[in-house]
Amino acid sequence: MRKYETFFIADPDLPDESISAVDNKVQSIVTTNGGEVLTYVPWGKRKLAYAIRKRTRGLYVLMEYAGGPKLVSELERNLRIDERILKFITVMLEDRFDPEKERERIAQKAAVPFTEEEESAHVSLGEEEDEEMPEDFDAEDLKDEEE
Amino acid sequence: MTVRRKRRTFARRKICRFCVDSDLRIDYKDSKTLRYFVTERGKIVPRRISGNCAKHQRVLTLAIKRARQIALLPYTAIHML
Repeated sequence: MRKYETFFIADPDLPDESISAVDNKVQSIVTTNGGEVLTYVPWGKRKLAYAIRKRTRGLYVLMEYAGGPKLVSELERNLRIDERILKFITVMLEDRFDPEKERERIAQKAAVPFTEEEESAHVSLGEEEDEEMPEDFDAEDLKDEEE
Repeated sequence: MTVRRKRRTFARRKICRFCVDSDLRIDYKDSKTLRYFVTERGKIVPRRISGNCAKHQRVLTLAIKRARQIALLPYTAIHML
């Protein structure tokens, strides 16, 4: 099995029942096609960088799952057909992934106290490190080059 | 254009911030970090300006392009008019 991640944007103006219907539908597609949903994290409404289908906000959802390649094509086919989903992107994270072994590994890790950085990695993006950003490189250098 | 002394813009001896700090992960979902490597107009900053090494610049470019696909970063500055 491989570990994939699908990040999709759903219509933000949908009523709550529709949104949970979409959630259930997407997860059931994964499970009925022989996959396993690992995490399902709705990111919430965000402003889009550009308008998609005339909407400026979107409801982002991140889903990690394990499965075979045919599962991905089937899932994408369904996402494409569904009108409530505006965009999606699927990325493969790992080849040769075994959910059973992963669960055992997590269970063993949980037996030893460890910091919780791993779990909150992809949700709490607001806490990215503040690096000293060299502010001078952006506009000035590029303007000089373009002259 | 007026003739002026040809100024060789040497790449500043900058280090690749991803090589130095191996905790930084380049992820297309992380628009906050990616924003540093994109100009105001939305263009990707070239490597000789940002100081990245070749490998990380490639990974970064891929991440930026993915983020653009999923509307976390814009393609250009003038999308909505």
